Amino acid sequence: MGRGVLELIGLSRRFGEVIALDQLSFTVPPGQVFGFLGPNGAGKTTAMRAIVGVAAVDSGEVRWNGQLIDQAARSRIGYMPEERGLYPAMQVTEQLSYLARLHGLSAPRARAAAAAWSERLGIGDRGQAKIETLSLGNQQRVQLAAALVHDPELLVLDEPFSGLDPAGVDAMSEVLAERAAAGVTMLFSSHQLDLVEHLCESVAIIHRGALVAYGKVADLTASGPLRVFVRVAGDEAGRWALGLGDIAVVEKVTGGTAVLGLRNRADAQAVLDRARAAGPVEEFGFVRRKLSEVFRDAVGSPAPAMSAPGASA
Amino acid sequence: MTRHWWQLTGLVAGREIAERARAKSFWIASVVLLVAVAAGVLIPAAVHGSRSTARVGVIGGPAPALAQTVREAGRIAGTSVTIAALPDVAAARAGLRSGSLAVVLVGDSEVLVKQKPVAGAGSPAATLAGILSQVGGLQKLYAELPPSAAARITSSGIALPIHGLTRPARGLASRITGLAAAILIYVIILTYGIRITIGVGEEKSSRVVEVLLTTLRPTQLLAGKVIGMGSLALTQVVILVGTYFALGYAVGSSAVRGAAGGVVLAGALWLLLGYMFYCTAYAAAGSLINRQADAYNASLPLQLPLILGYVLAYTAVYSSNVSWFYHLLGFVPFTAPVVMPVLVAVGAAPAWQMALSVAIIVVSTVAMARLAGKIYERAILRTGSRLRVRQVLRSAS
Repeated sequence: MGRGVLELIGLSRRFGEVIALDQLSFTVPPGQVFGFLGPNGAGKTTAMRAIVGVAAVDSGEVRWNGQLIDQAARSRIGYMPEERGLYPAMQVTEQLSYLARLHGLSAPRARAAAAAWSERLGIGDRGQAKIETLSLGNQQRVQLAAALVHDPELLVLDEPFSGLDPAGVDAMSEVLAERAAAGVTMLFSSHQLDLVEHLCESVAIIHRGALVAYGKVADLTASGPLRVFVRVAGDEAGRWALGLGDIAVVEKVTGGTAVLGLRNRADAQAVLDRARAAGPVEEFGFVRRKLSEVFRDAVGSPAPAMSAPGASA
Repeated sequence: MTRHWWQLTGLVAGREIAERARAKSFWIASVVLLVAVAAGVLIPAAVHGSRSTARVGVIGGPAPALAQTVREAGRIAGTSVTIAALPDVAAARAGLRSGSLAVVLVGDSEVLVKQKPVAGAGSPAATLAGILSQVGGLQKLYAELPPSAAARITSSGIALPIHGLTRPARGLASRITGLAAAILIYVIILTYGIRITIGVGEEKSSRVVEVLLTTLRPTQLLAGKVIGMGSLALTQVVILVGTYFALGYAVGSSAVRGAAGGVVLAGALWLLLGYMFYCTAYAAAGSLINRQADAYNASLPLQLPLILGYVLAYTAVYSSNVSWFYHLLGFVPFTAPVVMPVLVAVGAAPAWQMALSVAIIVVSTVAMARLAGKIYERAILRTGSRLRVRQVLRSAS
């Protein structure tokens, strides 16, 4: 595999009776915002800890640039652990430049990078503050800066959006997009599938330690049962659609917009013709699935625990 | 272990030192220890008289012979002396009056003092004057002997041999120094040890260790921590011992002469050995905990042996015969750091015992570092409840 490609190959891990990872394999290409999604307890954290080398797996391997990931390669990873991790009593700038130096930067370059990232993430004026005196949002910014300060080639971010306010989510999204555009390979996890759907170019969705969906978000959401939404002016109840018979099934009607399930793509034109016959068509289009629906369709049940953040394994 | 390995380990050690040096508690504790050592030297010296270095004037006669007489008298009196050759008796009188001279020896004829002491009065100057008069008298007698008798005295000396009823024992100064050394060793190992436990516990409970271990090996983090703390401890010991000797010589304290000085050096040696033996164990204790509040409980088993050695030190210091049990503790690496300096102080540790004790502690230090490294490596990333040593060792990492 080529430069910048991260490969997880057959990762398995048991904790007693609990299977955290079950032959998990997928590939993360460089230069994409890549989401690693799944409900709480699906095994995302275990997989990410295995990538950065702080958790062992029972079997399987992680490859980076086509080679088994080793200590030297790991110094080029930027990692943001789920439970966060900074020295509470250490000052922001000092902490960031210490971490940068541990990743191989010289002292002057480390200081410059610490200052630059603090500035970029809006905490430039808190350089002398101890971490424990910062607000949670600002601690999160320092944590992101800690993952980025040594200009890593691979970013592994565990739940980077949890605990962020909307402004924080925007800032984080912006940084992820910018890093991906710079060619960095990136894997970030989230249990809130719908929240991050619009951010990701590609995703891997796992459930009970195994891969259930993988690919470009555009492909995943466009696949599956074909649906259209249609709104005919003046027909708030969608009565026009009742006569469609065998070409389409009415799934629901909300505010005059009917969602119809089709057998095949060609039927869409027939549906449109019937709608126009019934009145002026105000809305018409294909319905894309949400990632949570992709997940549900793949495992046969709704993704559990989509809201409350907490102990994911 | 490559250059890169040491670079990263050095970074960890550097952070450890910088963070510690920033803590106010570190400076307060250091100053308190320094003051305690200074007081240990200065207070006895003050009690025994302000200066025990006496300036002795000599007039007339062959100067080297007179100086020899003065030095011999000083040795017997237990007073260090400096010698000033004077031109005449007028200068001697002036010096005695002003207090710049303690005693003046005039050739082989007389000893001058400012005020002739009454019998029984025992200021250092008076004692020196008394002994000087005796030694000077003997010297004069010796000069008048026929050459054959003089030659016999020169070859065998005139002093009679002294035989004691019990084995020679170290003086009180040496014993007290030994006890003080035991206390300091106990305090320093405990303070730095618990600091290490707290530091490791903090890294684990704040989860910062997860970030660190993406680029560091656990052994680097462990080594950097104990080396950083160790260099602080070493600096502190060097400053304390240096202060002890510098002040001791400055005030001419008996604490730096003879046996007591050796006790201090032995104390410094076993303190360093003790730190090296214990530091990794304290780090392993820190890796077992998840809350900083548990640091003291987790390190308690490591404190008990030192407490035992320290408490028993009192019995050894004040007894004429040290028990076999205390000797045995001198070979146990857990207690040796406190016990051995005490044994040295009471004069109960022959060279072979010191050598064996050092050898045992060095070998045990390697074994302890391996065991502690294994515990640390396996426990540092395992969060949840407080871990037990056996539970960690039984499980694979």
